[in-house]
Amino acid sequence: MSLDNTIKEIQTSFHSDLSNCNTTTDLENIRITYLGRKGKITILFDDFVKLPGSEKPKYGKTLNVLKIELTTAFNQKLNELNPDKGGSNDSSADFSLPGYDLPKGSLHPLEQITSEIKSIFQSIGFSVAYGPEIDDDYHNFEALNVPKHHPARDMQDTFFIDPNTVLRTHTSNVQIHLMENQDPPIRHICCGRVFRNEAVSYKSFCLFNQVEGLVINESSSFAEMKGTLEYFVEEMFGKGTKMRFRPSYFPFTEPSAEVDIWNDKLNQWMEILGCGMVNPNVLTNVGYDNKKYQGFAFGMGIERIAMIKYGIKDIRLFYQNDKRFLEQF
Amino acid sequence: MKVSLSWLKRFVDFEYSSSELADKLTMQGFESEVVTDFSALDNIVVGEVKSAEKHADADKLKVCTVTDGKDSYNVVCGAPNVDKGQKIVFAKVGAILAGDFKIGKAKIRGVESFGMICSERELGISEEHDGIMVLDNSCEVGAKIDTILGETYDAIDVEVTPDKAFALSHRGIAREIAAMSGSKLKTPIEVSKIASKGKDVVKIVLDKKGGCTRYIAGTMKNLTVGPSPKWLGDYLKSAGQKSINNLVDISNFMLLEIGHPTHVFDLSKLAKPTIEVKWAKKGEKFDALDEESYKLDTDHLVITDSVNTIALAGIIGGRDSAVSDSTTEVLIESAYFDPVVIRKGSKKLNLLSEASRRFERGADPEATLEAFYMIVGLMTEIAGGTLESLITDESTMDTTLHKVSLSEDKLLKYTGQEIDHKSVSSILNGLYIDHDKSKTGWDCIIPSFRHDVKHETDLIEEVLRCYGYENIKSSYSFSSQMQYANDEEQPLFELKQYLSSLGFNQCYNNSLQDIEEVKAFGINPVSVMNPSSERMNTLRTTLHRGLLENLDFNFKNGSADTLIYEHGTVFEKKGDTLKDIDQVSNFSCLVHGNFYEKNVHFNDVESNFFLLKGIATNAFETLTKAKVKFIKDENSYCDVFYRIVDNKKNTVGSIGVIANSFLDKLDIAHKTDVCVMDINTTFFTEHFNHSVKVKDVILYPAVNRDLNFKLDSTANLGEVCSTMKSVNQSILQDVWPVDIYQSKKEKDKKNVLFKLSFQNVKKTLEDNDVNSIIAEIISIVTKKFNAKLRDN
Repeated sequence: MSLDNTIKEIQTSFHSDLSNCNTTTDLENIRITYLGRKGKITILFDDFVKLPGSEKPKYGKTLNVLKIELTTAFNQKLNELNPDKGGSNDSSADFSLPGYDLPKGSLHPLEQITSEIKSIFQSIGFSVAYGPEIDDDYHNFEALNVPKHHPARDMQDTFFIDPNTVLRTHTSNVQIHLMENQDPPIRHICCGRVFRNEAVSYKSFCLFNQVEGLVINESSSFAEMKGTLEYFVEEMFGKGTKMRFRPSYFPFTEPSAEVDIWNDKLNQWMEILGCGMVNPNVLTNVGYDNKKYQGFAFGMGIERIAMIKYGIKDIRLFYQNDKRFLEQF
Repeated sequence: MKVSLSWLKRFVDFEYSSSELADKLTMQGFESEVVTDFSALDNIVVGEVKSAEKHADADKLKVCTVTDGKDSYNVVCGAPNVDKGQKIVFAKVGAILAGDFKIGKAKIRGVESFGMICSERELGISEEHDGIMVLDNSCEVGAKIDTILGETYDAIDVEVTPDKAFALSHRGIAREIAAMSGSKLKTPIEVSKIASKGKDVVKIVLDKKGGCTRYIAGTMKNLTVGPSPKWLGDYLKSAGQKSINNLVDISNFMLLEIGHPTHVFDLSKLAKPTIEVKWAKKGEKFDALDEESYKLDTDHLVITDSVNTIALAGIIGGRDSAVSDSTTEVLIESAYFDPVVIRKGSKKLNLLSEASRRFERGADPEATLEAFYMIVGLMTEIAGGTLESLITDESTMDTTLHKVSLSEDKLLKYTGQEIDHKSVSSILNGLYIDHDKSKTGWDCIIPSFRHDVKHETDLIEEVLRCYGYENIKSSYSFSSQMQYANDEEQPLFELKQYLSSLGFNQCYNNSLQDIEEVKAFGINPVSVMNPSSERMNTLRTTLHRGLLENLDFNFKNGSADTLIYEHGTVFEKKGDTLKDIDQVSNFSCLVHGNFYEKNVHFNDVESNFFLLKGIATNAFETLTKAKVKFIKDENSYCDVFYRIVDNKKNTVGSIGVIANSFLDKLDIAHKTDVCVMDINTTFFTEHFNHSVKVKDVILYPAVNRDLNFKLDSTANLGEVCSTMKSVNQSILQDVWPVDIYQSKKEKDKKNVLFKLSFQNVKKTLEDNDVNSIIAEIISIVTKKFNAKLRDN
């Protein structure tokens, strides 16, 4: 008998057996006869394996279709006979039911902003550097032109581990490590957590995240710093964002500036980053020749940008990890 | 610093409004805000109190009739000083006062009131609220209030950065305004060297170890202490200072006028007219003017009258030598103190004063004598005194002016654009920096008040900030320096995206935690010397603590189902120096509750150990190409703990089920197992996207076989699977346990259905190829695990 005929025969007898079947016991017998481990379908597949290669594609398909057909018909009958069981299968007929309720995962908003900033700067050739959160006074302050007993230290209230070891108050310590270990040119951003000993409130937390950048070579100027940061602001906040550079003071840069962007809703300028030409003392401290090299540095707080961008009014929300907050990102 | 516009006008003429001035100063490096702007106040006018009668129902209230020149209004007022005939500030219904306080019609104890008579506090002028503000009788009734008050009280708040000590006065800010507008700075008080009337001598002894490099003193007698004249009181008030008496006010005025702090002692309270500037004795007690008592140290510089300490140098005067209502003779001090000494002294006592703020930033050495004479002049004029002593000027100071050169090349290279010579020169002139144009640049002589200008870049900064940052054209020439941009944490970002797309929420937790809770995790922590609160005094040793807190928080807020992770630094103390502190990047996940809730489609799916095990297997395989295994191990706070290892036996992570007792100890709310997984970030970043060697896809069909074994209920199925796999490595592709059934009758046994998948790279499998392997598997499993094959 040809395989085609066998298939036809099995198909016919299965359907007739199934239509005559009224009990679950009968149905189980049908399963064993046709679909069981030694059932007719299984045997058909065993026979199929012995077929010459040329015939395989044709029968492979036929057999699979047959198996699906029989299994579906069998399951239908099973449902008819056991209306209480297999209730879940009933759902497949009602396409108005909700889909699977998949968990709503998210990247933390601060991660998203950091990653966005990183990729903007990576796109113009900045590599990313990391460094220690606990560091010595030298790398956090002195090398950055902030001597002990300098009033500029008041700008950053510091947590001390011991009198000479601090929780970094900015990621600028990474810039010092970087320059100590590498000759110019430097074109890097550093990012990570920084700590400030300030009272916790809706607008300040004992730590925040920073991204800082550093460019050192023989020619990078104030004009180039403006160009670089304008590029960043337009990428980050949209083309045509109104911005201004205004003079400010940081011990590690000179001239220094702060960058504000215009907030239409609040009708006011909002400070988003600080920057400036690297102070020659800093270059000397890391052993660079400050007659030959120059460049600029900039830094910004991620929380601040995230608050502006997402309209978040309380900085503590970032560290509370309320699922109802996180799921929105 | 509150800066009064009327005061500024003593020094420079300008037409800017408060807000225009604030904007201009902001763009020149002094971030400024308007404090009081009377032009913004509507419905507030000069009123006259026509009558003031006691309220029938309230002792402390008066019912007044107030006129604005046109109409009369009934106003109930509680101020004790309100009286008939006064010119007052009248806020009509609809006016909005400081702090968004809106005036409406009111009924007070049965009497209707239409408006309010204002105090200084309600107008934002000062904190004065004991009574209403009474205006000069010459004010025209009905006039808008900004024409009356604005002239005296318009003020802006100027933030002066620590480098700009020269701007900590009205003269300093006025100098900036003159520079920007090109106008000339005026000299409101001419310094005249007044000759002494008497022959007293003040002896001054400066400590040889430094601290004070110039001290000028002199005495004045025949003074009459009393209230300050109106102009003096108004200036002080407009800059936010309270008027005390004429002698004290003169010293305070001088500080805000030219920025030089001075001090006035009551001469009759000094043991001798001798000033000794020296270092305090250890533990010395000092009673200061602020009614506080301070314990001094040997690095505090003090002023003594050779017997008693009469002032903490440059910071605050002493209580016992202070000027009082009965003072008739004074000793005037005008000195220059070392910035670092003042800074250390004030920091140590946590005592900041207007004087210390100026000295620690560096006062103007030249202003010392100027301030002294100005005070003598004002005291003579206002308090009627006479200078009775010779002026002693003890100085060890080098007063040579500093020279700094600015080269054209450097200015161009730094700026990135040319700035014309005329502009540079006019900017330097405006800043009182004398200069000569040389062939290559400018040779500058820096005035004594600009000791912050030491280097060429300091001059560049001055030129650029006055030239205007907005006038420097942006350059986009940076493309020439582009390089390959690298980020070593990129792989971890991919891992974060992977987890978040599975349904995990990324968390950021505080690195500072409570030491007691940190210690529970059994790692020696690093503590902070000066924590802001005891709940945040120690650095985290693990991310688990924060994640558990997040679980607890969310559980208590209605979401028990938790899939969270965090990436961050943890710290371990291994010794006493910085290099003995381990600072390690960690990556931890925590799961709890259900991954899926029961629903119309299927039953609950728990977030448990096996979810994490599956994620670990999958994440490592897809992202690092490492096939990982799980090796049982132990952990102090986990009941179940497995190390994740790669095929070279490197530990690449761990998975644990946290012990209930531990969760209870930390008081963490939970209802199912709490499971944590850690991923070794170093391994992950190093092996990320490890080069893939593509294997041929097997084109021949797979043959599946089921084997149903009855096993001891204690049998370890992972081991059974790997035993089966070890029988044949070439065509047995996979073994999965798909069903476990344990009958109630036979509790020491379990029936397990295994699915085996065979596939050959080179050919279609025949029954016989598989049968012999199956037979071998059955025989080995039966023997090794005391198993029995069941027929299905």
